[in-house]
Amino acid sequence: MQLLRAGAVSGLAAMAGLAISAPALAAETSQNSSVYVVHGIPDQAVDVYVNGEKALSDFAPTKVAGPLDLPAGSYDIVLTKPGADPAASPLLKVDDAAVPGGENLSLVAHLSAVGAPTLTPFVNDTSNVDAGQARLIVRHTAAAPAVDVRAGGEPVFQDLANPKEAKADIAAGTVDADVVLAGTDDVVLGPTELKPAEGTATIVYAIGSAESDSLAVTSQVIAGLHSAPSGVPAGSGGLADTGPPVWWYGLLAGSVMVLLIGVGSVISRRTTRVSRQ
Amino acid sequence: MVALGLALLAVTALTGWQATRGVEEFGAPPVSAALDPAPGSSGEAAIPIRSGGFTTPTTAPVRLSIPTVRIDAAVRPVGVDPKTGELAVPASVSSVGWYRYGPGMAANAGSLVIAGHVDGADQGVGALFRLSEIRSGARISVQGADGSVRGFRVVSREAFRKSEVPYDRLFDRNGPPRLTLVTCGGSFDRRTGSYRDNVVVTAVPVG
Repeated sequence: MQLLRAGAVSGLAAMAGLAISAPALAAETSQNSSVYVVHGIPDQAVDVYVNGEKALSDFAPTKVAGPLDLPAGSYDIVLTKPGADPAASPLLKVDDAAVPGGENLSLVAHLSAVGAPTLTPFVNDTSNVDAGQARLIVRHTAAAPAVDVRAGGEPVFQDLANPKEAKADIAAGTVDADVVLAGTDDVVLGPTELKPAEGTATIVYAIGSAESDSLAVTSQVIAGLHSAPSGVPAGSGGLADTGPPVWWYGLLAGSVMVLLIGVGSVISRRTTRVSRQ
Repeated sequence: MVALGLALLAVTALTGWQATRGVEEFGAPPVSAALDPAPGSSGEAAIPIRSGGFTTPTTAPVRLSIPTVRIDAAVRPVGVDPKTGELAVPASVSSVGWYRYGPGMAANAGSLVIAGHVDGADQGVGALFRLSEIRSGARISVQGADGSVRGFRVVSREAFRKSEVPYDRLFDRNGPPRLTLVTCGGSFDRRTGSYRDNVVVTAVPVG
């Protein structure tokens, strides 16, 4: 049981992660953050305690909970076996995890590259995508070496290491993805058919352990990031033209010409009269 | 001669004003702006737990029918032209396009958008040629791929210069459920081969 071996884990790593990945938040600290919790440790359901209160019961591996609406601040997070006493026998304990304000975060319980349970916060990019696009985010949260992520056999994200992420906005649709050891063709995960939906961020987590042959993926979808198309081109014939017809422009030109001739003749008559005096 | 010129100009202005009808507008849509909540937000108190899955597709409309203006057209799912970012309206002017990324037949919120050509340079009159004649209260029926039928009642017709179309409102995925029909109209520029305006008809569900 890797979880039991790990015991208490320092919260420093989690705090440092938050401080680095969430810059320029000072202006927004008055807003709450939306926080998701992702369970990426295989084979062990957990209870999740936030500041001593039980937030999630019997939370199963690969599941995603949230969003929790949390004010900015520091939080003590404890994971226990279901029903266990959080003070006595935590599986994972993070003190003073800093949650910034006005952000969208995923707190991921997962194994480090060497297989120790840990908690990593990721800031989710919830900026809008263009119409027709989807955002694909891949997070390496498995006890495994650095990997390349391939789509249709071509590497799209290269040399991704635990606990980093890579992302791209792509045309919505179906992607046949697999994961290989970085720089090789050794498939460690997949192939998996991903269907990133338009206007969403689809976050794919590699979880589990290569050593114990428990590598797997789980995913999280954040919707509502869509944009509207930029135009509706719906006519090229001119049959529904409601502007003035062509003959009208002829009439306008004729009228102006007659008027000009008239004005011209008045001026020339006056000039003649003046010159006679 | 001056008097004749002025008189002719006055006649010209008058006939021009009569000929330039534009598209008549009426009514008001049920929303005045897009109603987007924060991404991924939910108002529920309990913490929702999901398995790591993907969203399910919606039911596509397949036929649009507006008897009062003799519109009856096949509806095809369309997306976005990757080159322009504009709605990929079907090339055939006799069919119309449903924006497949937005609300579908079963949606209980947001704007189901169907757009179609008023006409085409080589194809003549389009499926939505008579949309600018539709009246307030007219019934619209939309049939889904699963055989379901949804009825709508026209509440507004609006015309926007293409530079001023409120796309976020037209393609809104939230707010009251409604049907938004879009085509072209207004004066036609023969040089660019395009219309000045988009004509937008909004209808609300009945029954």
